[in-house]
Order: sequence, then C-alpha cells, then structure tokens
Amino acid sequence: MRRSGWPLLVVISVVLAHAASAATRPQYGGTLRVATHIAPVSLDPADTSQSDSIARRNLLSLLYDTLVVMDNAGRIQPALASSWQVESTNQRWQFFLRKDVEFQDSSPLRADAIAASLRSNNPGWTIYPTGNSVVIECRTPEPNLPAELALSRNAIAKRTPMGTIFGTGPFQVAEWQPGKKLTLTAQEGYWGGRPFVDSIVIELGKSSRDQMIALDLGKADVVEVGPEAARRFAMQSRNVASSAPAELIALVFTRSAESADQARLREALALSIDRATIRNVLFQGQGDIAGGILPEWMSGYEFVFPGDRDLQRALQIRGDLRQASAWSVGYDPADPLARLVAERISLNARDAGLMLQPTGSPNADMRVARAALPTTDPRLALESVATGLGLTQPASSGNSAEDLFKAESVLLQTKQTIPLLHVPSAVYATSPVVKSFVLDRDGAWHVSDVWLGTAP
Amino acid sequence: MTFRRKLLAVVALTVSISVATIAWVVSDVARRAFDRAGEERTAALVAQFQREFHRRGEDVVRRVEAIAASDDTTRMALAVGRGSPDYGAYFNLAKSLGESQQLDFVELVDGQGTIISSAQWPAKFGYKENSFAGGPPALAKDAFLKREELPDGVALGLCALRVLSLGDKPLYVIGGRKLDRDFLATLDLPAGMRAVLYENLGPGFSPQLLIDASGNISQPDKLAPIVQQVQQSGNEASVTVHWSSNPRDDEIFQAIPLQGGNSQLLGILLVGSSRRDYVEVNQRIRSAALLIGGAGILLSILLSAWAATRVIRPVENLAAAAKEVGAGNLRVEVPVNSADELGQLAEAFNQMTRELLEQKERLVQTERVAAWRELARRLAHELKNPLFPLQLTVENLIRAHRQSPEQFDDVLQESSSTLLAEIANLKKIISRFSEFSAMPQPHFQRVQINEVVAGTERLFQAQLRSSEKTNITCQLDLDPRADFMAADPELLHRAITNLVLNAIDAMPQGGTLTIRTREEKNRVHVEISDTGTGLQPEECERLFTPYYTNKQQGTGLGLAIVQSIVTDHGGSINVRSAPGRGTTFHIELPRNLDKLTTPGQQDSRHVKESTVAAKSTSTDRG
Repeated sequence: MRRSGWPLLVVISVVLAHAASAATRPQYGGTLRVATHIAPVSLDPADTSQSDSIARRNLLSLLYDTLVVMDNAGRIQPALASSWQVESTNQRWQFFLRKDVEFQDSSPLRADAIAASLRSNNPGWTIYPTGNSVVIECRTPEPNLPAELALSRNAIAKRTPMGTIFGTGPFQVAEWQPGKKLTLTAQEGYWGGRPFVDSIVIELGKSSRDQMIALDLGKADVVEVGPEAARRFAMQSRNVASSAPAELIALVFTRSAESADQARLREALALSIDRATIRNVLFQGQGDIAGGILPEWMSGYEFVFPGDRDLQRALQIRGDLRQASAWSVGYDPADPLARLVAERISLNARDAGLMLQPTGSPNADMRVARAALPTTDPRLALESVATGLGLTQPASSGNSAEDLFKAESVLLQTKQTIPLLHVPSAVYATSPVVKSFVLDRDGAWHVSDVWLGTAP
Repeated sequence: MTFRRKLLAVVALTVSISVATIAWVVSDVARRAFDRAGEERTAALVAQFQREFHRRGEDVVRRVEAIAASDDTTRMALAVGRGSPDYGAYFNLAKSLGESQQLDFVELVDGQGTIISSAQWPAKFGYKENSFAGGPPALAKDAFLKREELPDGVALGLCALRVLSLGDKPLYVIGGRKLDRDFLATLDLPAGMRAVLYENLGPGFSPQLLIDASGNISQPDKLAPIVQQVQQSGNEASVTVHWSSNPRDDEIFQAIPLQGGNSQLLGILLVGSSRRDYVEVNQRIRSAALLIGGAGILLSILLSAWAATRVIRPVENLAAAAKEVGAGNLRVEVPVNSADELGQLAEAFNQMTRELLEQKERLVQTERVAAWRELARRLAHELKNPLFPLQLTVENLIRAHRQSPEQFDDVLQESSSTLLAEIANLKKIISRFSEFSAMPQPHFQRVQINEVVAGTERLFQAQLRSSEKTNITCQLDLDPRADFMAADPELLHRAITNLVLNAIDAMPQGGTLTIRTREEKNRVHVEISDTGTGLQPEECERLFTPYYTNKQQGTGLGLAIVQSIVTDHGGSINVRSAPGRGTTFHIELPRNLDKLTTPGQQDSRHVKESTVAAKSTSTDRG
C-alpha cells in the first residue's frame, strides 16, 4: 500500500507541474484587440503631418523597424543594423545590415532601400549604400546619430510607385481603414522571431470612455489610460503597464520675459505652484515633481532644479514688485487633466497674489503643455522637448552630462517655461488574458512578445 | 330747421351719446376687469413659479440628502473623522456624486471649511469654502441661494446643506443646481410666461448678467429700471415692458429678489407674463364695442328718423290744418291715427274746427239775420220819414176836400209839392241802397297817390272856404316816395273823400285835418287824421259795420264802402281813436303793379293820370 502510492503521487505531481508550466509558458495564436485614441490616416513613418505621440510610435513599431533601438538604460542596441562604426569626427557613420531580413512584401532588405528610406526624412545627410552597409555622412559632428536613427520617424520603409509602403516589422497590414481600424497579421518570417499573437485588431479614434467600456465588456484587450487612472486601476486589481515618467507637463509662456520684473513674477509663479499636491491628487500619485525639463532618471541632475513650493518666497517676490497684470493660462480643451492643472495653478497663484485666469482659448499668456520624451537619449530628448514646447534649441558644446546640464539650465533661465511634473508617457490597461505586456521607460511596447493566455 | 329735423337731431344725438357712453362704459369696465384678471393671472403665475422654484429647492434638498446618505459619502465622513483625508482618493467623488444626483454643485467640506472634493471646481480641493469664512454655516432645512465661485467666474446656485457626523469631525455636503439658462429652461412654466434671471454680481445694471432660457435676452436695457429698483429697495417690484410699438409684445414683469443666507441680494428673478392674449381680447372687445356702438348709433338714427316721421306726421297734419284754418278754411279735418296725446290733439283740433265752422255758420246766419233786421229797420226808418209827411199831406187833402173845398186847390197845390218832394226823397234813399249793393270792381291803372290826395284836398279846400266851417285847417304831409301804384283812381278818390267828410263832420267846432302819405316796405300808407271828438272803443269796433252810424242823418254805409274799396285793392284799413283826442284812419295799400293789365301801363311814366280833383262826388257821410 505504501509502495503503490508513490507512483501515483509522482504522476500527479508531474501533471500539475506540466499544467503550471503550460499556464506561464507563452502561447502562439489569438487576436490581440487594441483600442487607442489616435486616429492616423497615414501609416507612413516619414509623414510629419501626423502628430507625434507615443501611441503613434508604438503603432508604427508594429510595422517598421529602425536600424538601431534604445534600451531602457539609454544605450544603443542593434536592430536592422547588426553593427556600426564611426569615424573620430562623428561625421561619418557606417551601419552594417542584419542578414536575411525581408520586407513584408517578401523582398530582401538591401542597403539601397535603407538609404532611400533614410534620405526621404533626412535631407541634410549624405546617405549611400556600400555593400551590405549604409554610410551616413553629416556636415557637422553627430555623436547622437544612432539615437536619432532609433526614432520612429527614421523607421525603414519601402515605398512602391503604387504608394504602398512596406516595413520589416513583426506585423503586416491585413486591413486598413484610415482613422478607424487597422488589422495586422503576424509576420511569419520576422527576423526577431514570429510574434505570439496571430493578428492584432486596432480600433482607432476611441475615446477614453469608449476604451474603458470596451475593456470592461471584454471587447478590447489593451486600452490606453491616463496616468491619473493608473492608481485606480491598480486598486481595482487590473493589469496596468506604465512607462517611466517620460512626459513633461510644464507651463510655457507665449513670449519671453520682457523685463526683469516679468522674470521675477514668473519666478514667483513657479514658487507658488504646489506641484506635490498636483501630483498626489490630480495625477493620483503618478509621476514625479519636475524642477527640470529632463526627468531625474534620464539626466541624473534634475534634483538640482527646485520643484518644491515656497509660498513665502513667492509672496516676498510678489511684494517686491509694484503691480502684476493678470495672466491667462490656457489649456487644451480636449485634455481635462490639463484644465485641472491650469485651475489648480490659478488657485496656487492667487495665494501668492498673482492673478491667473484659466481659459480654453489658444491665445493665452501661457499654456499647460505636455511634451513626451521621444527617446531615452537625454540630449535628443532635451532637443525634442524644446522643439515641442516652442523653446529655443539648447546650445550644447559637448556630449557630456555637464554640457547637458548647462544647456538645460540655460533653457530654464529664460523663464519661458516652468516645469511641473514628469508623468508616465504611456499607461495601458490590459485584460487578464494579455500576458507579457510590458513597456520600456519611454513607453515603447513590445507587442511581438505579448501572448494571449487564459483568464485566471 | 324744421321741427322734424330738430326732433331727429335731438333724438339721434341723445341716442348716440347714450350708446357711445354705454359702449365706452362697457369697454372701460371690460378693460378694468381684464386688467384685474391680468394682474390676478400674473400673481397666480408668479405664485406658481414660486411654487415651482420651491419645488426645485425641495428636489435639491432631497438630492443632497441622498448624497449625504450614500456609502461613498459615509466612507469619506469616516475618513474625515479619523483625520486628514486623502484628497486624491476623493478627488472625483464630488463630481461622480453630482452626476449621479444630477446636481451642478457638490462640495464635500470638513469641519474647518476645507474643501475635500468639489464637483464644480475640482481643483479647489484643500482650499476653504467661502461660506465657512465665519465658521460653519447654520444648517438650513430648506434650499437657499448661494453664490458659487467657479474657475471661469461666479454663478448662482440653488443649494442645500447637510452635515454628516460619524465621528468627532463633521462632513458637510453642499449641493445645488446652477441658476442658469438650463435651469430656467427646465422650469415648468405656463404658456406665455418666461423667467429671466439677473445675477446680481455687482452694483448697477449689467446687460450681460441678464439671461433667460434662450440665452441673453434682446433689449436688456428695458429691464434695467426694475432691476435697479429692486437693487435699491430689496423688495418685489412690477413693471410693464413695451418691447415694441405693438402692444401685443408687452410683458408684465414681476421682479423677485433672490437673497442669500446673509440677506445679500444675489439675484433678481424676473417673471414675465405676456400680455398678448389680454391685448387681443381687449382689442376684440373694443372693436366689438365700437362696432356695436356704431351700429347702435346708425340704428338709432334710422329709428329716430322713423320715429320722428311717425311722431311728426300728425303734428305736420295739425300744422297744415291750422294753416288752412288760418287762411279761413274751416272745413279741414286732421286724420286721427292713434289714441295717444297726438291723436287726442288731432281729435280736439277736428272738434275745434267743427265747432268753429258751426259757430261761423251760426254767426253768418245771425249776422245775416241781423243785417236783414238792420236793413229792415233802416229801410223802415228811412221810408217812414217820408211816408209820414205823405200821410199827413194826403190826410190834409182829404180834410180840405171835405171841410174846405174852396181852399182845396191851394191845398192840393201845396200838398202836391210836398208829396213830390217826399217821393223824390224816397227815390234818393232807394238809390243809395242800390248804389251800395252795386259797388263796382276796381279798374287798376297807374296812379300817383299823392296827386289823388292833393286833388281831394283841393276839392275840400274850396268847400271849407265857402262854408261856415272856415275854422278847419287842412294839412298835407305827402311822402314823395309814395309815388306810383296801381289802383282805381275813382274808387280811391271816393274812399278818401268819405274819410275826409267824416273827419270834417267830427270837428263841428273846428280843428285840423291832416292827410299823410308814406311808403314803407313797398306798400303805400295813407292816414286821415282829425282833431275832433274821437270815438269810444266799442264804436271803433263797429265802425266798419254796414248800416252802423252814430249820426242822425247817416246811412251807415260810408265807412263800409271805404272798407270795401280798400279790401278790393288788397289793402287794409284800421282806426285809432280815443275820446277827445281825435281819430286817425290808416289805410295800407299794396303797390299792385302786377295788377296792371299791359306792360305799357307798368313801365310807362306817361300814363294818363286820373284827374279827380275837378270831379265832384256826392258822398254820404256814413
């Protein structure tokens, strides 16, 4: 009796272990349903008429690849280019292509196609194929060229005379209804390995409310949520994937400070803002208080820029000035969170004796702006944020952290912007069947690694 | 203006004024009644609105109580009771509670007045609620008005306050509805009524603060006076607003001050009631009154005309009959068509004419008999005088033939003379009567009356100088304007002569005889005056009666002949006399130029002038 029980126990243990491993092991197949608020009418990565956002970048990443990619540490990693070399002047770069890569029309990836794709979006560069490599020559030193090439706008695409665009991404287009719906199927011969899901159906132009309803009704597997909702979702035990605080929320003045008094008033305004409360309440604890443009995790020096409220100092500055005209602070009417931020800032400013009137009008003295960091490369991110906020481009004399700090300090001293928060640039809620859905720090997803399991 | 027209005018005017007065009174009474009805309707509508407003307040109270009783609020109250709450955890709570209860304003406030969650201004968490500036407000059972600060300004709200005390620290729930155009649009108001809200956010009148359910109203300045009146007095007021020249667009506005908890005037509710229905009904009544009044006046005029004709016809018949009677026709009779006063009058008139006719006939008969008697008496008297000498003469002849035949011849001679003389006298008497009965009709010809008078005077001047009556003076007073006329010169001369003889006879002691002529109103007047003894009034009345005389030797036909001549010429004669003051006969004659037979007689001034002066007329002095 004792001897006959052991084999059964072993069998049961093996079966349970197999079942457990089957539940956690990736599975192929299934259709991933995604809902997003963006509604692009073009899938061309070089189409600059389409607004840039992390959602669009993620969408394009399903179809296209870049020569290199940035990892979460801000390092360059191979992609379509398996290796590269640069001359000492940082003006000539040569990228060696990965072998056996095909476009979605099954045509092989060649250097001339890559050169043609990059030329369309970078007219300032001299790009030419050389054997199995592509040479990029710049007029000025470009130490960050690989990071530049990792941007989605430099994704490699093959454009046919018929207007069809093919990429080398993990999925290919099965159905395309511009602005409404995009259906993708898995690229069987993808160089990075076949995606686990067979297809993806992406509903475009869905509002946050519709996305949440779709998720609750089981009609969507992946939906976008605002960073302020991440806490609520987490409290509801939902699956939430969030990027690092890679989006800057800041006040941006329409004009530069025209006088020292104006600059001091702006300083008083910056000191009066209770960023912690905004973060804790309006953003439900998501993100970080921003004293600088680049987040601490990216620059490493952001703590140097103060972001705490100092109402006494603000009152003192305000008291030193004879009078202050009322400001209007604008917000995007389609962004309720921006409105709340504007209203809260107005209340904070009132405490310091400053008058701010929130308005949805675009002709405001300042506005609450969002700027997502498009890359984990700090210099490129700073330039991108400056461009996105309408600030003057930072002058950088070098590529070191000190140079970056100086450039950012110069930007902040113009008093044209007041950083408020760094919040996650992308937050997705997923249904329980979605497995391995993770985001990079910059919000980039890796859908090719996602697989569909069963609900617990 | 005839009596008919006068009567028609009076009756029509009277009826018209009466109808117009009644129409005006009816219209005025109707207008006042409608004014009262309109005021009562407005008051009822305002009361209905206030009930609706109160009902909305009760609804707000219920919803706020529901929020206070909700699980989420209870959990928050517990968290507040434990200490400082997590604002982030309750950030959207007020908004979700407000949405669930359909309230525009929801604020959850702790005991210190700190906003934990706000629906209308979510970013205001952590700040103090204004109404808690002086400590927690008194709990009101009913809804109250509250001025709510919003990110984009200030708004009025119909709010309620409830407190939830689950621990040591209370949690206040303030909820309400925004008083805006949407609130006004949801009010269940009767047709023709609207609500306008003035948000009293500052002193004076600002048109932008005046809204109704459709938004900002047009011509807001029209409501400025009543708004300012309420702002100053704080009491209800009423005004009629004329939006245009068309009175149908008028509205009566009742201004109701909306006060907050501290009696501060937060808003003014203007309840407008259209006067369109009232004006239309009033105009219809006025039109109907005018139509009825006009028709009544027209009908009254027609009826007045008919009634006047009906009433006046007997009067006209009476007038015509009276005129006939006045002309001497007593054989007229008025038809009697009714038994009323006019009928009785007509009957009396007919009776009168009948009696007058009978009296006239009796008078004529009596006069005829009297005339015959007088004639017989005169004849007997006249004839008896000569007959008596005849009888004596014949008896004297008979006696002389029997007693003294020798003297008979002498007596016969003498008696024959006497008999012949008396017979001649009888013939003369008979001749006079014959002459009176055979008065000729005048033969009109062109006559100068002054010449006729002057001729007569000359005739009698010679007679007066040759007789014993030399103490009578004759004077002529002739009007040269009394010149030509148409008359029979011989008859005229005879009439004047008779009157002159009468005047001479009336002055046995002498006196003055005056003959005057004058022209007046195209008629010729002749007066013969004496300064004699004069006549008694009763004598004057009978003076022209034939055979009447107050003389011993008169026949009583002289003045009758004069009157006959004057009458035949279309004139008249009268006498003025008094005892001792002489007598004046006044003859008035028409010119009678139309009686001339040929145009030559009318126009020619060279007609044969009658010469009467040399013609001696034997005239009896009657």
